[in-house]
Amino acid sequence: MAEGFDIDHLAKLARLSLTAAEKALYSSQLNQILGHFQALAEADLPSTIDDARIVNEAALRSDEPGPVLGAEAVTRIAPASRDGQISVPRVVDDES
Amino acid sequence: MADALHTLSAAELGRRIAAGTLTSRALCEAFIVRYKTINDKVGAFTHLDEADVLAQADASDARRKAGQGRGPLEGIPVAIKDNIAVKGQPLTCSSKMLASLISPYDSHVAERLRAAGAILYGRLNMDEFAMGSSTENSAIRKTFNPWDLARIPGGSSGGSAAALAAGLVPLSLGSDTGGSIRQPASHCGVVGLKPTYGLISRFGLVAFASSLDQIGPMARSIEDCELLLNALASADARDMTCFGPSDRALTPAGDAKKLRIGIPKGFLGKGVAPEVAAAVNAAIEFYRSQGCAISEVELPSADLAVPTYYVVATAEASSNLGRYDGVRYGHRSATAGTPVEMMTASRSEGFGPEVKRRILLGTFVLSAGYADAYYVRALRARAKIRAEYLAALAGVDVLLTPTVPTPAFKVGEKASDPLQLYLEDIFTIPANLAGLPAISVPCGKSGHLPVGFHLVGAPLSEAKLLAAGRLFEAAHGYAHQQAAL
Amino acid sequence: MSTSPSDWEVVIGLEVHVQLHTRAKVFASSPWGFGKEPNEQVDPVVLGLPGTLPVVNREAVEKSILFGLVVGASVPEHCSWDRKNYFYPDNPKNYQLTQKDFPVVVGGQVEIELPGASRNVMGEHKFIRIHHAHLEEDVGKLSHAGSGSLVDYNRAGVPLLEIVTEPDLRSSAEAEAFLRSLVAMLTQAGVADCDMEKGQLRCDCNVSVRRRGVEKLGTRTETKNLNSISSVRDTVIYETARQIRELEAGRSITQETRGWNAELARGYVLRDKEDAHDYRYFPDPDIPTLKISRETVARLTKLVPENLYDRQRRYVEKLALPYTAASVLVNDRALAEWFELAVAAHPTNPSGIANLVANDLLRDLAASAGAAGSFDEAAPAQVSLSSCLIKPAQLAGLVKLTDDGVISKQQAKEVFAEMFKSGQDAAAIVDAKGLRQNSDTGELEKIVQEVIADPAVAKSIAEYRAGNEKAINALKGPIMKRTQGKANPVLIDQLLRKFLG
Repeated sequence: MAEGFDIDHLAKLARLSLTAAEKALYSSQLNQILGHFQALAEADLPSTIDDARIVNEAALRSDEPGPVLGAEAVTRIAPASRDGQISVPRVVDDES
Repeated sequence: MADALHTLSAAELGRRIAAGTLTSRALCEAFIVRYKTINDKVGAFTHLDEADVLAQADASDARRKAGQGRGPLEGIPVAIKDNIAVKGQPLTCSSKMLASLISPYDSHVAERLRAAGAILYGRLNMDEFAMGSSTENSAIRKTFNPWDLARIPGGSSGGSAAALAAGLVPLSLGSDTGGSIRQPASHCGVVGLKPTYGLISRFGLVAFASSLDQIGPMARSIEDCELLLNALASADARDMTCFGPSDRALTPAGDAKKLRIGIPKGFLGKGVAPEVAAAVNAAIEFYRSQGCAISEVELPSADLAVPTYYVVATAEASSNLGRYDGVRYGHRSATAGTPVEMMTASRSEGFGPEVKRRILLGTFVLSAGYADAYYVRALRARAKIRAEYLAALAGVDVLLTPTVPTPAFKVGEKASDPLQLYLEDIFTIPANLAGLPAISVPCGKSGHLPVGFHLVGAPLSEAKLLAAGRLFEAAHGYAHQQAAL
Repeated sequence: MSTSPSDWEVVIGLEVHVQLHTRAKVFASSPWGFGKEPNEQVDPVVLGLPGTLPVVNREAVEKSILFGLVVGASVPEHCSWDRKNYFYPDNPKNYQLTQKDFPVVVGGQVEIELPGASRNVMGEHKFIRIHHAHLEEDVGKLSHAGSGSLVDYNRAGVPLLEIVTEPDLRSSAEAEAFLRSLVAMLTQAGVADCDMEKGQLRCDCNVSVRRRGVEKLGTRTETKNLNSISSVRDTVIYETARQIRELEAGRSITQETRGWNAELARGYVLRDKEDAHDYRYFPDPDIPTLKISRETVARLTKLVPENLYDRQRRYVEKLALPYTAASVLVNDRALAEWFELAVAAHPTNPSGIANLVANDLLRDLAASAGAAGSFDEAAPAQVSLSSCLIKPAQLAGLVKLTDDGVISKQQAKEVFAEMFKSGQDAAAIVDAKGLRQNSDTGELEKIVQEVIADPAVAKSIAEYRAGNEKAINALKGPIMKRTQGKANPVLIDQLLRKFLG
């Protein structure tokens, strides 16, 4: 079940950069953990997921606008901001 | 007199405050003095804003004097795990990622505590993002077990349990995803309750695994634990998974001596330390002597609980922790470049090893080509486990096991073996998977280290768990126990 | 070229993202609206602050269900939300809440009308099937500023209904007609405003081509984020031509995501987001499965307006309106309902009312309001009847005065202009201006006889008597002139025939 484990692909998907040593460590640990998960592959399981979590429409929110934080509060906790907006490194234009 | 305050129960402190023989200010000042002398040894708190605490205490005293006291928690300090939002206070989750974050909003439980007149007293250390069983994964500081400072306090709510055992506060809040309240409660000799999923709003609890997380009360006695539970449980329209106690009435406790207690077959065998087994067996014999019906129950899928839990929890965590990317708040890497590079560097610098390990695992079990084999199968296994527990709890009132197989281990002892640490949770995990209430009650010592037993009940049977605990507590000397420091 | 474009068939499917008409966001209580300062419409939930949780907006769910009912979809017993995980700075939680497995709308169809041979001829009708529609959250907006980019999360969390068609469209004209029809249905039911300038409607366009007679679908491309009907039309035309060119040159089509540059009128390949193909969908654990009650469905069913084309058929078949007027009226629900109120007040001449509404009223309203932006630049500007001073019954009164011969059609135009300005009744204006036609037979008989006696018209009289019916008209001008235009033309005609008979 643990076949095809690709630490580079996972790190990229998860937006983590790992050193070679970290990759080796996590790979071996994850393989060990996934080995323990073998019981899950072999178990006789029900075919349906009995989802106990069902709510009716009473759980919905009414369409009443509530308070906002305000740009000042938003930018105060942001690592970098400008003119009420959050600044990030330049997103490369899509058109090639 | 001030010296003794830390030994008293929250209920007693509340009675004195209500009677006017104790002010909240005097109480908080006493705890602040104790904090200054003891916290560095134990490391339970990561933050305490003295001025803010005293301002809250003065406001509480003024309310009470004006005849506007808000009930039994008026003026009582409650310390809060650092993954539960309190407006104006840090919300670090003991992570470098959120080291600088000040919460701009209150969690539902913070609102409830304010409404009950309680003092929101400081921030408690934890495993980073609640991932761990020892609090060693905190990026802020180490927390030590007050009963043996060379040992871990348990986790992830290690600060919450250690603060109680060290007499640093009378009440604390923890959160429990796979045992994070109950396991440290057991290791520190205090009471910890994980309520039925949905009884307490998660609004303002930083998500680790949303379908498993619950906030719960921790205290040094059943009475105090119940006091805090009553203040916290309420419906909240901001959490769609929370129904609170109003929708479905809590099951009444009934006569604790008539409780039917189930002992899951084989649970006292595997890897349970002899002293732990002895303490738990003594508790079983105690209940039998009180007239409770003891029977053995079958939980055939018990072995699936740990893998099921680690698939579901890490899958949800990998998504829940996606928001920490250095864009809107939290740690941003100084590394320039593209947004992808900035986010990747921020996450790599901001998260500790256990968090990264779980994010990678969770990303894997959800990824294309593997989700069916892992995540979807885990959901099916979860349904099976839940069904088995509910079936067992149709025949008995509570299930009794050890809380943890072994007493608190030494700091650093298991740090390099994640799988061994994951197996620490073997008795506590099923309650989270099945959404059931569960409690850890102190029941003895293994040498100088506390041991607890664990009760699981049917949904909304908190009162039964508390009644069972009260029966045991009344006949033993473990209530209000504190480590000598 | 060895083959002509007619050897090829284009197959188009659309994914239309519509911002629903709500006051608060879809999973948060933050308000939203156009033209606010950046990040002023953001609360802790929208910003994805740690510990915050989504709660679904009832109105957004009900607007989605209403859309389903409008297109005849089945409303499922349950719907649920899933997380679509991908990292992007405009995506506050780095997952988007959407509905993958159990959407709120399943099935349904949209009737479309293709352009006719000319403006006054109705074109072919066709039904385009809806695969499903799901309720999700919009993302924030990125803009570029110097060496960096800026993020505004005001748009994040705005309710978006993504309407996904079956690949039933076969030409750019059909795509255009589909979008027109869809926009009309969405706006007429109050589901959405579809204002293009405010970005309330965006479209992803899937295009493939295949040789005529071949059943197997060709490889498709998806052009994303088109924000006007003309962009969709142009994209289809461009992409069809490009794909045919590629295939005829012996190359193959790459399944790819593309963008559209409206200024340059050309498409381009979008760089794939590195991990765009692994969104790691899973059910959102914060939002339980929602049970949709049949009571809600029944209540919403009552809000479904008459279908655009059912109304058009009714106007043409039952009210005998010319197609041109009918098609204009049904495009705007408020205008059509206004028209129907007028018809109720004067049921004998719906066409007369329709002409005034579809031509005069619409023209004057548009001129006084100034055109608002719309996803469909070619469509007539949506007008606001709220500021219209004329009430439907008043317009009916004007048509009745004309029908009764009290004023001429020419005079009716003048009266209408005055009504539009002042909101007065037609009869009051007619009296105040002294426009009432002269129907005093005695006085008119005298004038008619005088005109007949005038030698200047003797030739016309002779021609009329010789059988030229039209010659009689030459006598009407002088009579009108003598009565300063107030004579009832019907009466003049009757008297002339009597005296010349």
